[in-house]
Amino acid sequence: MLKRFGKKTAVRDLDLEVPTGTIYGLIGPNGAGKTTSIRMMLDIIGPDSGTIELFGSPDIETGRERVGYLPEERGLYQKMTVLEHLAFFGELKGMRRKDALREARTGLEEVGLAERTDDKIETLSKGMAQKVQFLGTILHRPDLLVLDEPFSGLDPLNVDLFKRIVLERQRQGATILFSTHLIEDAERLCERVCMIAGATKVLDGKTSDVKASTGRREVAISFEGDGSFLEAPGLVERVADHGQYVEVRMVEDGDPQDLLERAVRAGTRISRFELVEPSLREIFIEKAEEAGLSAEDESEDASEEEAA
Amino acid sequence: MNPFTPKVRAVMRREFMHRVKSKWFLLSTLGLPLLIVGLMALSIFLALRGATDTSDETRSLGVSDPTGFVHELLVEELRSDSIVASRATELEGASVEVAQSRLADSPFDYLLVLPPGIVDAPGSGPAVGASDDEEAAILLARENLPAATERTVRNALERSLVRARLRFAGLEDVDAGELLSGAGVEVVNVTETGEARDQEIYQGISFGIAFFFYLILLIYGQMIIRSILEEKQSDIVEVMVSSLRPWELMLGKIVGVGAVGLAQMAIWAGIMIAATIYGLTGGASTLAEAGVDLSSVAVPWGTIGLVLAFLVLGYLLYAGLFAGTGATISNETDAQQAALPVTMLIILPFIAIQGVIQSPDAGWAVIVSLVPFFSPLVMTSRLFVTDVPFWQWTLSLGLLALCVLGSAWVAGRIYRVGILMKGQRPNLPEVVRWIRHG
Repeated sequence: MLKRFGKKTAVRDLDLEVPTGTIYGLIGPNGAGKTTSIRMMLDIIGPDSGTIELFGSPDIETGRERVGYLPEERGLYQKMTVLEHLAFFGELKGMRRKDALREARTGLEEVGLAERTDDKIETLSKGMAQKVQFLGTILHRPDLLVLDEPFSGLDPLNVDLFKRIVLERQRQGATILFSTHLIEDAERLCERVCMIAGATKVLDGKTSDVKASTGRREVAISFEGDGSFLEAPGLVERVADHGQYVEVRMVEDGDPQDLLERAVRAGTRISRFELVEPSLREIFIEKAEEAGLSAEDESEDASEEEAA
Repeated sequence: MNPFTPKVRAVMRREFMHRVKSKWFLLSTLGLPLLIVGLMALSIFLALRGATDTSDETRSLGVSDPTGFVHELLVEELRSDSIVASRATELEGASVEVAQSRLADSPFDYLLVLPPGIVDAPGSGPAVGASDDEEAAILLARENLPAATERTVRNALERSLVRARLRFAGLEDVDAGELLSGAGVEVVNVTETGEARDQEIYQGISFGIAFFFYLILLIYGQMIIRSILEEKQSDIVEVMVSSLRPWELMLGKIVGVGAVGLAQMAIWAGIMIAATIYGLTGGASTLAEAGVDLSSVAVPWGTIGLVLAFLVLGYLLYAGLFAGTGATISNETDAQQAALPVTMLIILPFIAIQGVIQSPDAGWAVIVSLVPFFSPLVMTSRLFVTDVPFWQWTLSLGLLALCVLGSAWVAGRIYRVGILMKGQRPNLPEVVRWIRHG
């Protein structure tokens, strides 16, 4: 898919496939083109070139009723009552009003809002409104949940609640596509990830494969006493001290076993010696740098996001 | 294909219920009839008061008459009016100044002082009021003199003098009243079918309808802009367009808001019909007792149907334009300015309405009533004051319908791009690009 806004290219040649039943993460800094890609997938805006299939069919109009979309910029009609609003969302997804009302009541019960059923949206607290918004997205039991920065601006209790519900839906067979600039979120939740930076895809695949493919070896070590065994230029490339433990990056072809041997020989007490995979964040920064993009963009955008 | 998909109907119902349940709806629906009833009551009250002043109470007029006979004629002339004239003997020969000072003590409300040579001076004629002219009659009044009374006295004096002069000329037997009866001109407007109709009433109706259209278009147009703005500002619009097409949202909104207007009008019509029946039956008796056969009241169904058609199409046309406008703005401040071009399209024909009503068959009026943006107001006004030829109203309606489709297409494309846009208002070339690439 390709999309231009005036002279700016928002998404360049993005090729993406989300397998049924997975939790798929679309990651990248703000402004990378995540939202634009999602909007094109749901036919909210048309691509300048390329094709889109939803549930294996180019008929997006029909497919959209099986999608629950929580956009990054979301809102509710302030003057409607909670129940009316949810029923309205349900009807827009092709539900019959009666079914929508029933589902809405069940859902409100589940998230602890049963007593606010007939209150107007404007009387709700921010956290309650977030629950209503989220319910509106999943009310019609969509086969595909598209969540754009779903956890931004949420209070921690709601984050846990929504994660629980999303995982529950996934176990029931739904596919989850979620975009975030918080790479740690994606790392914990997603089976597969696609990284976008500067309108271009830089990486995609199974989260574990992505990590394995980098071929680097990091070792987390906790020890008491002499740390001089870490000074081994032929073996250790870099040491990051985290206080409670150190993270060591081995040189290429460096065997962690050799490092352990040095520690034992030096008489250091080891309480933890663990081979760890690099974090997605590190991989992302490395890939983005390879692609000639500055990683600084990301941190700036992230702080803006928090400010907003 | 039926454009009213279940989703469009859901949007329609939301818009309709949301508004009908609001305080605004209650206030405006009941407020307008109350306002009209209030105005009617006020005008009746004022009319009654005016009547009291001029006719109900009898006023006395003293006549200081040095000629000795003009007052008799004057008494005769004033007999049918509520002014009782009599000769003020005690003031005879007194100067105007003296009469003036003694008016308060006299039994008269008004005092008419005639100069001695009034009958012989046909050149000067009678003049009532303060004047230095010796030959002028002077009318003194204790209180503010109502214009109607002054006119009555002046006419009576004129006729009296004519009769007096005729008598001098030896034409005693001639009925002066008959001699002076003028040729009144009554205007009767005749329709093509040969019926007469009261033009003034129809002009009033015509203007009333135009004013009503004008208000409806402006008020409901603003409502649509606000509604779209609210959706943009509350960020709900992206949630909406992931579920339905922008045109479905726009159509549902326009029709839903329009249905509120129709509901409001239906209620008003109901109140009007009820009030008419109540009025016809005198409030207490039933229709039958009053002998009123409603079937004999000629209701111009054809005209009403045509007016409704123009109203509905006109609403759709302007609602589309307002919706397109609403999609280009992101805040209240821009709303007024952005809506100005569309608002002008409604104000312009309204300004022309007075002229159209006065000369509904003038060439320019005919042309303006065919132009789609103006026809809803102008053609409906013409319908009441003239017989609009079949080809004119069909052409006008057809052009309007075409224009509705065209503007819906344009508005739909602006809307589709605009509702997801934020920030600065786009300039005209940008909007044109939206329309072309929508």
